[in-house]
Amino acid sequence: MSRDELNIKDNTSLFKEERYVQQRENKKQFEAPCSEKETAEALAYSKSAEYMEKNFSRQNVVINPHKACQPLGSVMAALGFEKTLPFVHGSQGCNAYFRSHLSRHFKEPTPSVSTSMTEDAAVFGGMNNLIDGLENSVALYKPEMVAICTTCMAEVIGDDLNSFIGNARIKGVISEEYPVAYCNTPSFVGSHITGYDAMIKGILSYLYTRSGIESKPGSGAESGEKLNVMLGFEPYTGNFAELRKILGAFDTKYTLLGDHSGNYDSPATGEYEYYYGGTKLADVPQAANALATLSLQKYTLKKTQEYISGTWNQQLAALSTPLGIKGTDTLLATISELTGLPIPAVLTEERGRVVDALMDSHPYLHGKRVALVGDPDLLIGLIGFCLETGMEPVHIICSNGDVDFNEVKFKDEAEALLAASPYGTEATVHVGKDLWHMRSLLLNDKVDLAIGSSHLKFAAKDAEVPLVRVGFPIFDRHHMHRYPIIGYQGTLNLLSLIVNTILQQLDDHNSGFNFELVR
Amino acid sequence: MDPLRQDEFDSQACGSMAPKAKPCPRPKPGEAAGGCSFDGAQITLLPIMDAAHLVHGPIACAGNSWESRGALSSGPSLSQYGFATDLTDSDIIFGGEKKLKDSIDYIAGRFAPPAIFVYSTCVTALIGEDMDAVCKEAADRIGIPVIPVNSPGFVGSKNLGNRLAGDALLQYVIGTGEPEPETDLGVNLIGEYNIAGEMWDIEKLMNSAGIAVTSRITGDARYKEITWAHRARVNMVVCSRALLGLAKEMESRYGIPYFEGSFYGAKETTYSLRQMAYLMNDREMERRVDRLTEREEARLSQELRPYRKLLRGKRAVLYTGGVKSWSVISALKELGVQVVGVGTNKSTEDDVRRIADRVGDDTEYIPEGGASRIIKTVRERKADIMIAGGRNMYVAMKEQIPFIDINQERHKAYAGYEGLLRLAKELTYSLANPIWKLAASPAPWDKEAPPYDR
Repeated sequence: MSRDELNIKDNTSLFKEERYVQQRENKKQFEAPCSEKETAEALAYSKSAEYMEKNFSRQNVVINPHKACQPLGSVMAALGFEKTLPFVHGSQGCNAYFRSHLSRHFKEPTPSVSTSMTEDAAVFGGMNNLIDGLENSVALYKPEMVAICTTCMAEVIGDDLNSFIGNARIKGVISEEYPVAYCNTPSFVGSHITGYDAMIKGILSYLYTRSGIESKPGSGAESGEKLNVMLGFEPYTGNFAELRKILGAFDTKYTLLGDHSGNYDSPATGEYEYYYGGTKLADVPQAANALATLSLQKYTLKKTQEYISGTWNQQLAALSTPLGIKGTDTLLATISELTGLPIPAVLTEERGRVVDALMDSHPYLHGKRVALVGDPDLLIGLIGFCLETGMEPVHIICSNGDVDFNEVKFKDEAEALLAASPYGTEATVHVGKDLWHMRSLLLNDKVDLAIGSSHLKFAAKDAEVPLVRVGFPIFDRHHMHRYPIIGYQGTLNLLSLIVNTILQQLDDHNSGFNFELVR
Repeated sequence: MDPLRQDEFDSQACGSMAPKAKPCPRPKPGEAAGGCSFDGAQITLLPIMDAAHLVHGPIACAGNSWESRGALSSGPSLSQYGFATDLTDSDIIFGGEKKLKDSIDYIAGRFAPPAIFVYSTCVTALIGEDMDAVCKEAADRIGIPVIPVNSPGFVGSKNLGNRLAGDALLQYVIGTGEPEPETDLGVNLIGEYNIAGEMWDIEKLMNSAGIAVTSRITGDARYKEITWAHRARVNMVVCSRALLGLAKEMESRYGIPYFEGSFYGAKETTYSLRQMAYLMNDREMERRVDRLTEREEARLSQELRPYRKLLRGKRAVLYTGGVKSWSVISALKELGVQVVGVGTNKSTEDDVRRIADRVGDDTEYIPEGGASRIIKTVRERKADIMIAGGRNMYVAMKEQIPFIDINQERHKAYAGYEGLLRLAKELTYSLANPIWKLAASPAPWDKEAPPYDR
């Protein structure tokens, strides 16, 4: 069959055909909408400074949110451990959303189950659902551990997970030894990053406590274990690979605490299994004996960090997502400091090559005004990267910023970082704002480039600003998450994404004198 | 509207027959079940494109779902905005009604929609928010309809949510407006959501036969047109059994006859168009429909010929909701594709009977979910292709099974005659892609040595 015969029109081209255009036109006549003039005026008003002021004085409604809820983060966290089944205690829809959401980003299946609570559970509590659910899911999915998180429903009715799990053991649906970790993650508190943190802490503390091991920081060095590393709510599987490469170059032994890269980047072998990779359960109690823990999302992993430094008495280094040259320099210096190992020559050489690449592109980056949306740790990294390339962050929105962190708040840190650079003087950091606020900002104070998740595409299109997709979720582009954005290699990826978007923009919008061959 | 008696509730929940067992199968704890009632209610009403849809609850329900539906709009896009009250812990303690009221006011003031739908969630239902009162007060004050949709997630499945959305339409929308006097009245399409633009194909067909669409409930709908749905002459329930209650209630209230039909497959399409004309009681229209369907079927048959040749004898496993569990089987049969496994997870007994009418004895029914269960059927029945929704797509990819997305995320329109042609092309395309051969062959260095010739 020839390709012509297989020419399938999808809805992007099909509905541009004359007859559909005509059909829509007829419908418009029928609707008798406002006149085009009125529509244009209303649109123009929504783009005005006057409207922006009203938009920013808005208190009680969120329009186009840029955060998801706690249990979504918990599901991702649970998938970071070997043969662990995420188990969502609440009504069934939440779990369906998490599975869709994560699968649409990673283009991979998400094994996760729900207790499917209904009205009777709302009245009498969800214990029976939890017990039946444990029995069914263990039989169906054969996990080695179940990791339970709650939804707002379970939290509002006050279900007590600990006693429910205990009752499940008494009833014999799971054995006394069978590991079941849990955490409380009501959606009306925090966001996906808070939930990620809660589950990581839940799993670490559960596996450590039940092992009966007493932490002796540094004693793991005898078995070669020196360093624990946590990436946090990490939407890039490529970042795990990049981090492994870096740690491998140091030749240090390490344990990744929470590694969902296996589950979200598994090969198509012709046989689907529910579980791929993940931190080995037995490695978790041993991690208490490591020399130190390195956390790469300090705002995300707040409670986990407190737990590790408090209970495991371990030295803890907490950074934000290591983006850009300086971010990666800090990462390498920290690893070197924690392990006592020198920085490998191969990485220094890589650094030089990426600096070279940055120099090649700098004329196109310098002075470019940028809008940024993301989670706190990602934003700190992105701001750093922008500043070192001469790009000027202008609008920064963090919907889930400003969780207290040893009295240092995201907003303070971001502002200090910006104030320290001549390229950061125009920036304003907004926490707790949404993408409708960002739309006003983009329309009223033009930028050259927006950086953020797919959700930002609507505002970016309205403002005719090109969007570089970075962060979570990315639903409308393929394979972005497979390429690292951390480390020197990640810096190069980020650079080429950004500079080539700018160059594409030049080509798209210039047909005449500067439609040049060489850029 | 009077509250429904329990037995009516049961019978309307997902079928016309009083079911023997519980109407909508209860989700089983410990499985990866589909969406909840909130989700179901929201997807039913979101295609009312010019209305604002406000989720009253914590960030979860809106944060995880806004703008992820493939219901296309021919104009307004307000329905794509993610509006949420984003309740936090203090709202849970002190109540979120003030926040809701302010949110409604803000949306009304800044976006001037023809109506605002307000959705309850698990949390607002549990803490006892009086959403109905807030909505009523707001509607009286600001002068636009503010419609409470009481379908918190925990009341049950997505199907039940579809039904509860139908109840909201009956109670607050249908019958509140009147069409222009010269409007040509015809058919309400109930349970057609314009996924990938399917509504437009259907509407085009109906218009060719001179049948007017009165209200779209709700694919690419405008709020106003639903207010006068009670003036239609016929209701067609498009493959969504959950909204059957709406059609039944409209029959008893307004005397509008209804029928259930589908646009998947040529035969079903023809049947549906004929049924419309028949119920309109218009001989001339019936003749026009006959001429149109004959012509279209003949044309389609010509155009399908090369695909039928390629698809004949191919085996498929179909795993989808009640909506398409049986109707897509007809479409596939017309293409010569044999359905060797079919999901019945979200099907009522009525659905299962319809499935049974359409498949052979050796078709396996897959009563419950779990990716491994579906995959097992594909393998055991030697199926060539899997037809399911997005959450199962990536499992199929892992197993290297050709796949077509049939659920709400799909980007291709499969309804009507042209839709069947598109489905045929899409099936051929998916089966013929060279990637399957590549995936199935191991790396050259992993190939087993040819057997030693002794």
